[in-house]
Amino acid sequence: MAGVTGELTGLLPTNQSVITTAGLTKHYGSVHALTDLTVDVGPGVTGLVGANGAGKSTLIKILLGLLEPTSGSASVLGHDIEHASQEIRRLVGYMPEHDCLPPDVSASDFVVHMARMSGLGAAPARERAADVLRHVGLDEERYRPMGGYSTGMKQRAKLAQALVHDPHLVFLDEPTNGLDPAARTDMLRLVQRIGSDFGIAVLVTSHLLGELEQVSNHVIVLDGGRLLRSSATTDFLRRTGNLLVEVVGTETERDRLGEALAQRGLTCRPRGSMVAVDPPPPELAEAGAVHDVIRDVTAELGLGLMRLEPDHGHLEDVFLEGGAHV
Amino acid sequence: MSERSGVIHDLGYRRYDGPRDGTATIARTLYVTGLRHTYGLGRSGKSKILPFILLAMATLPAAIVVGVVVLTGLGSLPVTYADYTNQVQLVISLFAAAQAPVLFSRDLRHRSIVLYLARPLSSSVFAVTRWLSLTTSLLFFMWVPTFLLFAGALLAGLDKSDQLEGLLKAVVLQLLLAALVAGVTGLISSVSLRRGFAVVGSVVALIVVSGVVTSVQAITNAQDADGIGVAAGLLSPWSIFSGLADAWHAGVVTFTPPGSAWALAYVLVAVVLTALCVLGLVARFRKVGSR
Ligand SMILES: Nc1ncnc2c1ncn2[C@@H]1O[C@H](COP(=O)(O)OP(=O)(O)OP(=O)(O)O)[C@@H](O)[C@H]1O
Ligand SMILES: [Mg+2]
Repeated sequence: MAGVTGELTGLLPTNQSVITTAGLTKHYGSVHALTDLTVDVGPGVTGLVGANGAGKSTLIKILLGLLEPTSGSASVLGHDIEHASQEIRRLVGYMPEHDCLPPDVSASDFVVHMARMSGLGAAPARERAADVLRHVGLDEERYRPMGGYSTGMKQRAKLAQALVHDPHLVFLDEPTNGLDPAARTDMLRLVQRIGSDFGIAVLVTSHLLGELEQVSNHVIVLDGGRLLRSSATTDFLRRTGNLLVEVVGTETERDRLGEALAQRGLTCRPRGSMVAVDPPPPELAEAGAVHDVIRDVTAELGLGLMRLEPDHGHLEDVFLEGGAHV
Repeated sequence: MSERSGVIHDLGYRRYDGPRDGTATIARTLYVTGLRHTYGLGRSGKSKILPFILLAMATLPAAIVVGVVVLTGLGSLPVTYADYTNQVQLVISLFAAAQAPVLFSRDLRHRSIVLYLARPLSSSVFAVTRWLSLTTSLLFFMWVPTFLLFAGALLAGLDKSDQLEGLLKAVVLQLLLAALVAGVTGLISSVSLRRGFAVVGSVVALIVVSGVVTSVQAITNAQDADGIGVAAGLLSPWSIFSGLADAWHAGVVTFTPPGSAWALAYVLVAVVLTALCVLGLVARFRKVGSR
């Protein structure tokens, strides 16, 4: 095992990028799916977040060589996507966002076949398929035709085929799509294990920042095909660590609170019935200082404080904030 | 001891550091799997029924011929090898129409093509390999009765060199036919992803068009306008096959046999049409794979 680990770290030294893109652009006629994207993805789990149509799937397909970029360049595991795309596809796994399973085949047969299509011999293909299906939690059902699977089971089978050849990197395109909360949690835990225990670098997409920040070491946010932010999850949480304040009343009360807070040097904006307060300026950075200011202000205005809590990071914040910064 | 069993029952992830096949070996695996799937092998029991019934239908007359020749001591086979293939063309066409969707519709309809194309094989290698599987499958379908007849002829003590010549001509013509039919039915199946439409499309392209061409050839022959009939022969794989077999004296008689210049045109059209179909398949797989 030590030899394997050695080889792996030889291939993927922790300081080396797993994916790099430079000015990557993809236009479909007038639709700009990706615009001038320059990012670096390291080992571990990287979340790729964006609303519908942000360009997440387009990026993955370009990296796999399934789509040609309009301009720009990229490399995956040290191989250039234009010249060594076959070498890349030998080393990566891909779980597409949409259905891709033939209904009349069992997961077991299908995953064995997909292992062989990645170059594993008949015996290792069977062995690894059994192993991987167990890891994704498809034990009993794996001999049944996949047409009868629930969405959760299908997602697991799709994940199994992406892992069966022991790739160095997997692209997981919306693995939690269509899952109920419990299955979603299971899937996210599995994604995290792939990155840590299995030692496989992961690029996982979602339109929910909240679910990816639980499992990712790094988060990349795309908006309309442009890079909005790329940073370690810890930075991300600190930077999006806003406060949410809600007072009794209507929008009038909300706006009175917002204006009063702004006069005290806090950056605020309305969100629904609440006021979102940005991280405080340096003079209020001391622990608890902002909370005190907010309590004081509501009391002075005679408003009833209903809620004062840290913001758990919503995508729209990043967009608003990013829009303000860029 | 306990240490070892601990390793065996370890539920942790195991890496794979064994050998990995190159592209050629992967393509060969895909080729063999595809070939087997056209006969339902490695698939459900139900999917074996149709191909084997059709194979039996295509072979039964040959078995009867062999029985008759061996028992009665006829001096020659009542049908040449190439003509036998021509006579059972309906069954061969049905087999191609029914089984081409297995290789050319399923991956596209269920979108598993994306999983293939995210692996080492490129869309062109994938499409060509699929086409080779169907071509081989069709050849096998035609060769079972052909070689049964040949074995019967040898058993009945017929002249070996005569038989070999007829067999060789048939095999070459079957090769051309199988490649073309696999291309045409493959392309149709890759475009019309509903199995029913694909089968109907292929039946039209192979059986209906062939019937129309034969009628046209009969009429033009009766009207002394053979040229039109010969040209019409370019429109169907079966009239190309029978026309070439006639021109090559392989024991098939057509209404309007092509002269040597036309025979060359038949061969060229068959080759070019096959190539176009394969290119069309490559484009189709690439397009669907990128979605
Ligand atoms: N084949 C295509 N032709 C034209 N436009 C396309 C094509 N594929 C994608 N697009 C457009 O490119 C943009 C990015 O699409 P993409 O699928 O990459 O987004 P996404 O982030 O994966 O979205 P989702 O969350 O819905 O999966 C969208 O506006 C989409 O409509
Ligand atoms: Mg997508």
